[in-house]
Amino acid sequence: MTATRDPVFTSTKFVDPTPAPKSVPPVEEIGLTSAPLKSASFFIGQYCKDYNADFMLCKNENNDPEHCLKEGRKVTRCALDLIKKLRENCDAEFEKHWKCLDVKNQDYYQCRKEERQFNSCVFEKLGLQKNIPGSPEGQPQINEKRNPIMKPHQK
Amino acid sequence: MPVPIEAVIPFAVIATFFTLTGSGLSAVKYYTNDKKPARYGLDYWESQMMERDRRLTGSIRGQSVNPVAPPEFSINSVWNLEKPRNH
Repeated sequence: MTATRDPVFTSTKFVDPTPAPKSVPPVEEIGLTSAPLKSASFFIGQYCKDYNADFMLCKNENNDPEHCLKEGRKVTRCALDLIKKLRENCDAEFEKHWKCLDVKNQDYYQCRKEERQFNSCVFEKLGLQKNIPGSPEGQPQINEKRNPIMKPHQK
Repeated sequence: MPVPIEAVIPFAVIATFFTLTGSGLSAVKYYTNDKKPARYGLDYWESQMMERDRRLTGSIRGQSVNPVAPPEFSINSVWNLEKPRNH
């Protein structure tokens, strides 16, 4: 006998239509799909840093989903707040960037031009800057590099 | 000596067939992906995000910028069930 066994799944999947219990305070879930979320990700990371850190530390204590519901609600509300601000202030550049990502396999390196425009708009209006954690110091970040090696085929 | 250009015709035929099947496959992929280029190099994270997109918009390539999710989003998540085992 092996120590692990692979799961054997049924062909029909299960959708549970029961809503959340009334004891859990309701929160509006984020309706952004993958491309706009990826576009806004670094700004969400900077704007909601404290709430995100709280949530991650809470999860570190106990991975049970029920334990960190409160911190999770705060994270969702903070991200929602920032998304509404982005839509109000920089809607056109945001749309261009995520539409570019959507057709380029959601690769950042293929959409640097739109990203530059979006980042500068967000910096002017909201004061947020894209900082990549773990980026080597002393060198420009990968999104600011003049002649990157990974670049789109076409100009 | 003069090169027989008729010998090139089979190569042209073969190249045409490759081109047709390649373009045909690429076109099928394009139209099944909501008229967008197909995604490649997907890992488990990307598959999970595409499943979330399907729950939000109905199609795995659909995108939406609504800040708030529709109310159905909280109750339409899909669970995989294991077959019952007795050992």
